[in-house]
Amino acid sequence: MKVKMISRNPDNYVRETKLQQHKIPRNYDPALHPLEGAREYVRALNATKLDRVFAKPFVCNLSGHRDGVSCFGKHPKHLSTLATGAYDGEVRIWDLANRSSIRSFVAHDGFVRGIAYSRNGQRFFTVGDDKTIKVWNAQAPELGEEEEPVNTILSRHILQGISHNRKDNSFATCGEVCAIWDEQHNDPIKTLKWGVDTLHTISFNPVETNILACCASDRSIILYDQREAQPLRKVVLTMKSNKLAWNPMEAFNFTVANEDCNLYTFDTRKLQTPLKVHFDHVSAVTDVDYAPTGKEFVSSSYDKTVRIYHAHQSHSRDIYHTKRMQHVVCVAWSLDNRYIFSGSDEMNIRMWKANASEKLGVVRPRERANFNYQEALKEKYAAHPQIKRIARHRQVPRHVLNAQRKMRSVKDKELLKEANVRKHSKKGTVPFVSEKKKHVIRQDV
Amino acid sequence: MSDDEEQYNPKSHKKLLQAISNLGNVQHIRKSTRDERQQQQDEFQLVKRNNNNAEHAPRAVGVNDLVQILRSSKHIATGKKLKNVHSSKKVLEKPLEKPAADRIKRKIGYEGVKKKLGRWDAIVSKQRAAETQIFPIPSDTIYINTAAHVKNLKGRVKSDLAKELEASDQKLKELRKAQIGDTTDEKELAKKERELLEKKLTRDELFARRKELAYLKMRESQKSAKARLQNKIKSKKYHKLQKRQKILEQIKEFEVLQKTNPEAALEKLNALEKSRVIERASLRHKNTGTWAKNLQVRAKYDKDVRKDLAEQLAVSRQLTEKKIESESEDEQEMKVETDAPVPTDPFNPWTKGKAAQKTAESQADEEDPNWRKYWTERNANEKLLAEHQADLKAVKEEKEQEKKTSKAPKKKPIKKKKANVTVENGWVVEEVDSPAKAETIDDIFEQHDEDVRQKLSKKLEKLKKQAEILKQPKMKAKPTKKKRDELKNLKDLAFKKTKQRIEIDEPLNQEEEPSQPSLDVVNKLTTTEETAAEPSADSAIDPNKVTTITLKQRMRDLDAINDALAEDDEADYDESDAAAERQLTISQAFEDDDIIADFNKDKTKDSEIKNAEIQLAMPGWGSWAGAGISQEVLNRRNKRLLLKLAAPEKRRDENKDNLYINETTNKQARAHMVSSIPFPFKSLADYEASIRAPIGRNFVPETAFRMMTRPAVITRKGQVIEPMSESELVKPDRRLRHVVDRRIQRLPLHQKAKIA
Repeated sequence: MKVKMISRNPDNYVRETKLQQHKIPRNYDPALHPLEGAREYVRALNATKLDRVFAKPFVCNLSGHRDGVSCFGKHPKHLSTLATGAYDGEVRIWDLANRSSIRSFVAHDGFVRGIAYSRNGQRFFTVGDDKTIKVWNAQAPELGEEEEPVNTILSRHILQGISHNRKDNSFATCGEVCAIWDEQHNDPIKTLKWGVDTLHTISFNPVETNILACCASDRSIILYDQREAQPLRKVVLTMKSNKLAWNPMEAFNFTVANEDCNLYTFDTRKLQTPLKVHFDHVSAVTDVDYAPTGKEFVSSSYDKTVRIYHAHQSHSRDIYHTKRMQHVVCVAWSLDNRYIFSGSDEMNIRMWKANASEKLGVVRPRERANFNYQEALKEKYAAHPQIKRIARHRQVPRHVLNAQRKMRSVKDKELLKEANVRKHSKKGTVPFVSEKKKHVIRQDV
Repeated sequence: MSDDEEQYNPKSHKKLLQAISNLGNVQHIRKSTRDERQQQQDEFQLVKRNNNNAEHAPRAVGVNDLVQILRSSKHIATGKKLKNVHSSKKVLEKPLEKPAADRIKRKIGYEGVKKKLGRWDAIVSKQRAAETQIFPIPSDTIYINTAAHVKNLKGRVKSDLAKELEASDQKLKELRKAQIGDTTDEKELAKKERELLEKKLTRDELFARRKELAYLKMRESQKSAKARLQNKIKSKKYHKLQKRQKILEQIKEFEVLQKTNPEAALEKLNALEKSRVIERASLRHKNTGTWAKNLQVRAKYDKDVRKDLAEQLAVSRQLTEKKIESESEDEQEMKVETDAPVPTDPFNPWTKGKAAQKTAESQADEEDPNWRKYWTERNANEKLLAEHQADLKAVKEEKEQEKKTSKAPKKKPIKKKKANVTVENGWVVEEVDSPAKAETIDDIFEQHDEDVRQKLSKKLEKLKKQAEILKQPKMKAKPTKKKRDELKNLKDLAFKKTKQRIEIDEPLNQEEEPSQPSLDVVNKLTTTEETAAEPSADSAIDPNKVTTITLKQRMRDLDAINDALAEDDEADYDESDAAAERQLTISQAFEDDDIIADFNKDKTKDSEIKNAEIQLAMPGWGSWAGAGISQEVLNRRNKRLLLKLAAPEKRRDENKDNLYINETTNKQARAHMVSSIPFPFKSLADYEASIRAPIGRNFVPETAFRMMTRPAVITRKGQVIEPMSESELVKPDRRLRHVVDRRIQRLPLHQKAKIA
């Protein structure tokens, strides 16, 4: 009788373990590797292709709000906690690890305009259209107890935003005036005015914590110092700035999201020209948030996309969009530099990976080494045309393409006109103005 | 109860009546008491002053009141003084208007903030330059040596052995104390002990050490004496040999370097090139010294002397010989040559043509054409030198004359039309005057004179202008406030990045179909082509070609003239002969380069296939039966096994002399090539160096692999990255945790640079 047996060589299926790894004697003599350049190039090409194959940035959708999402509040200590506010005054606290909402309550009449956690993350402050600042416990109430604010402060002015100081117990609100508050008091310690009717964003510098900045409806950005009796300086841009974010690693740099589709990075000490103008959006930029490493930032736009920029480059490195995502209102970068949250008009909060092709879950050391190698190769050959083409190719929604085309034609037309005017006028009367200088109108002292 | 109600209390009644009477006058809102700190008073909290009580309200106390009181009392003097002070005191200036004051405050505040933010420059620039950044930034931990404060447990039971040991230890300590001194500090004790030990040793060692020192000193003095003596040696042969040895050593070193470190070798080569340039520029080995002049007197009659002189020239030629031809160097040199003023430099080989032309007739043929050339050159050089000196003298004289008769009207220099000078591919090609206008030496002298004169006058004018400018009272310096660069500090602090990473700052390719190249891509392509074309145009300078072209023209012109004149003239003929000779000299000048030959070699190398016939028969094949097979059979077989290759394909540039079409380029590969240097790189060499070195495991050792593939940013999962904290400002360099980091840190500087 014939017995059929399956026989396999264990070498083919037993994975090399740490113990089984043998040191491979290698000869590194370059004469023996005549094709090393070519081999590495092919590896780089493959790595780039795989990178695009695995680029699936969308992680999950957090649904629950019954109206558009208006603002985010990042917990300073817990990575898995996120507070969001909506247009209907509802505030939700999310458990990101489980992708569920653990708490929800109506905090304000009308919009929730801003959420800010206190320094230690035990309380959070919300401001709304009803001119109140409410202080809430970060802990959910016991079962059966009602959600009630720890404290409610009635403000004399309308409130548009809130930001908490990272180092002491003060926070700041904006609206008609910029007010500095102490957590222990019901009246502002200080109100700072500079003849502006509405300030719609406020942001504390996370490093130099006495400095804060506001964006005003008269197209200006105003700098304040918490300790001074007067504001410090004002820059007026050509259009309104919607949001402002400070670089958490470079104390003097901040970026504003502007209504004119661009973002501007400024150095606080030199406000007459922005350091960088960040292009690529095709509609008003609504929000901006820095990565905690300070190397990159994310921006959301009215054009239904989220874009990621290097802080010192003027074009985006990536674009995120989905079919159902409408105007993106707010955006946040998680404090472990891995995820991005976007809240949009259509009531959803989306979670994205900050690196589109990053592997989630456990990465073993050998895997890590391989990823590093691939990353290094991609970087090394980044300028090669094929690799560049593959790495920078993105599918974008048609409306974005159309808008881009339109913007380009408008710009071309303007350039042409300018060139013609220059050609037909006296020499030197029509100066060349750099793109950076075009957008800053003046600096008020 | 009713009794109680009826009870009449006059006090309270009065109060009540008063209250009723005051009803109309008093405002009921109380003046608020503050329980929160606040800066602004609410308008509702302000209480209106009661008008009725106006006369009862206390009036503010003025200085006059005080004076009145004091006058009435015994302090009259003080009262007077106070009044005086009051009258003599100046009224304070009106404070600034609010907007102006606010502006000043804002300015001051902003300056303060700027200063504060400036503190972060150093850290930020350091972070930006860092090869790898680890987040969260490792916080500074304070290490406390807890072991130092440990107290022994008192109630510990000690074994006998422990007790014994302790006792002996104590004894030892006491002994040491007795020997060294009474100190309780353990460290000091150890130190002293060491010193003591050393002291003991010194006596024995002192002699040895002194001996050693003396020996060293002797060696040193010997060496210096030797060097001195060697320098004094007058034998030229010895020095020559020495020099040759040195050069040989250098060459050897260079060869080694070429293999191990091509970049350093290149540098060395450049140094060699420089020495060549210097040699070219100097008058050494050019037979211009007194020694050569003295010899030249005898040269006509003495063969050995001639030989010596020739040797000297040969040395010069050898030293100025090109080592390696590279396009860029060629270019540079050509530029240098074109820059050099043509008529004043007697040693420029490119200007020798004229001289050769002039002296051609006077020079009789000698046995060796090379010798003839040498002599023509020599004579020409001498003449030119003489001219030059004469010019200089003339200039001097003229200067003196000018000084004497500054008012005298200057003789206007007759401006002769200079020979047409055209620049072709960076080469100055001077048209030779028509043969009818044969220049005499006097003409040349005159022209030269004029040139110098013109130059002088120009210079004088310039100087005058400058003097005038200096004389003028300093114009009111415009208050051109130089804009201070706020970020100067940050820029100055910026480190040079050790590892450059390519930054691609371009919009994403958002088109769905990459087939249609977008406009900017096309633009770029065209620009790159242009840039690529430019240097090629420069590098394609073919001096021989240039000269031949012009010569051809000239010859053709001459031919035309000759045709027109119908008959040949002896002078004309001589002229053309001279021109040919000139071409000869130029081609001689380029003897070393031999560009045409190289070019043709390249061309043929590509087309030629070394063995047009390949013998496939192997020794021993087919001769299984052993020796003794007839040669015929073998030949037949060999013929059968001879593989005849097809005739090589015709080159596309086969019949085109000056064209070289590279047929080996791969069109498919072109799509993968980089066309321009990516952003942070400034030179092609840098970029190539960054690409050249492999980083994979298969090509470099494991540690190097790990080092080179470290990412720019390392973050840890599940850890909150806090913003920069102020402690970073004062933190010392942290101890590196990663093994690789530590190894890098330990490397010496030059090696670090290599890794980068």
